Amino acid sequence: MATPVPVLRLPKGPDPNSRGFDPNSPRFIALCRTSIPTSAAAESDPQQLQEEQHARSVLRESFLRCLLAMSNKKVRFHMHEKVNVEATFGASDIDVLNFQVSDLHTPIGVQKEALIRSQDVISFTFDV
Amino acid sequence: MAMRQTPLTCSGHTRPVVDLAFSGITPYGYFLISACKDGKPMLRQGDTGDWIGTFLGHKGAVWGATLNTDATKAATAAADFTAKVWDAVSGDEVLSLAHKHIVKSVNFTQDSNCLLTGGNDKLLRIYDLSKPDAAPQEIAGHSSAIKKSLWCNNDSQILSAAEDKTVRLWDSRSMEEVKTLTFDTSVSSMEYLADGEILVITYGKTIAFYNALSLDLIQMVEAPASINSASLHPEKDFFVAGGDDFKLYKFDYSTKEELESYKGHFGPVHCVRFSPDGELYASGSEDGTLRLWQTAVGKTYGLWKCVLPEDLGTENSEQLYSSTPEIKA
Repeated sequence: MATPVPVLRLPKGPDPNSRGFDPNSPRFIALCRTSIPTSAAAESDPQQLQEEQHARSVLRESFLRCLLAMSNKKVRFHMHEKVNVEATFGASDIDVLNFQVSDLHTPIGVQKEALIRSQDVISFTFDV
Repeated sequence: MAMRQTPLTCSGHTRPVVDLAFSGITPYGYFLISACKDGKPMLRQGDTGDWIGTFLGHKGAVWGATLNTDATKAATAAADFTAKVWDAVSGDEVLSLAHKHIVKSVNFTQDSNCLLTGGNDKLLRIYDLSKPDAAPQEIAGHSSAIKKSLWCNNDSQILSAAEDKTVRLWDSRSMEEVKTLTFDTSVSSMEYLADGEILVITYGKTIAFYNALSLDLIQMVEAPASINSASLHPEKDFFVAGGDDFKLYKFDYSTKEELESYKGHFGPVHCVRFSPDGELYASGSEDGTLRLWQTAVGKTYGLWKCVLPEDLGTENSEQLYSSTPEIKA
């Protein structure tokens, strides 16, 4: 009777909470380009870098404030395939992948609670 | 002392695994990408099968997946009528290329600048990845859905296999058909080895080897069951095949002799590929798993650990085979 080849362990399976691509892995650190275009340039001007970072911070802050201002308000979502729906905005998830809404008015009825996939949304409007 | 093959099962997919591809050997090892009907292709470390990440974005079954040589880019072909290009280091989607029908196959040129796609709209498309908004070059000719398309002959030519029971060789510059091979049944898989210019084609129970430049037949071998995929070892001494009887077969390439067969999968084997160093081969199955198999059974490599005869009596075998608590079923 042949002996089965021993193994150190089984291959690691997927992490249920993340899509992986560990940013702390040596490969990621060595190969991943930074997302700031100017800092990737060979001669990055620190002044320009700072200006760009400032602009990014301003834009990000105003986006986050917008999400806060929207909560419990009626929002109209303009989506792909000429879909326009209205709902009461709840919250966004941390990666802005989904929006949690209530009373979503769709052509086939009103959905009491729903998640809207943000990649399907082109724009949204609401009254401040 | 005879050693029995211990396949390593990579879990994570929830539906059949229909395609897989290895990268070349990089400073960080080599990598494996798997295409699955669950729409979520996965990247794994090639020698251990450890999951690295999942490419999220497709809205339908993923039929084809590939990596570029240095595993910095990945491409996938899906039933949502798109082919997508991904950054294989960060997992981010870089490009989504809209098609008119299900996309089945994707393949990078050696410099990763162009992507070849083929699918159910019967057209071969060449995308210049540095000009993603430009319209792709299209090659028409097949009369049925294309199952597999790949670059060959230093990217100067293209090979495509379709449901019209033909395998066609095209010149990628003139976009003209150079040669056609016709079969009685449609080809189930195609593998191209640049080193040696060998084309491995499977159909029915046959595994056939062709010269990739002339499309002359080198030899063919009959397997005991219907074969869905086969792969030739980089040193051309063995080839492996898997199909509808759930088993993996290993053959000697020179003598055509069947050397071994391995059970393990719980469903038909859809794809099998040797790693770039030839030390292992990976198989993807209808059962939703990928399995890694050793070429030289008993050798210490990856997660397989060679045990000397004198250690076997004293080792507690439970330590060697038991799974650790955090492994998910």
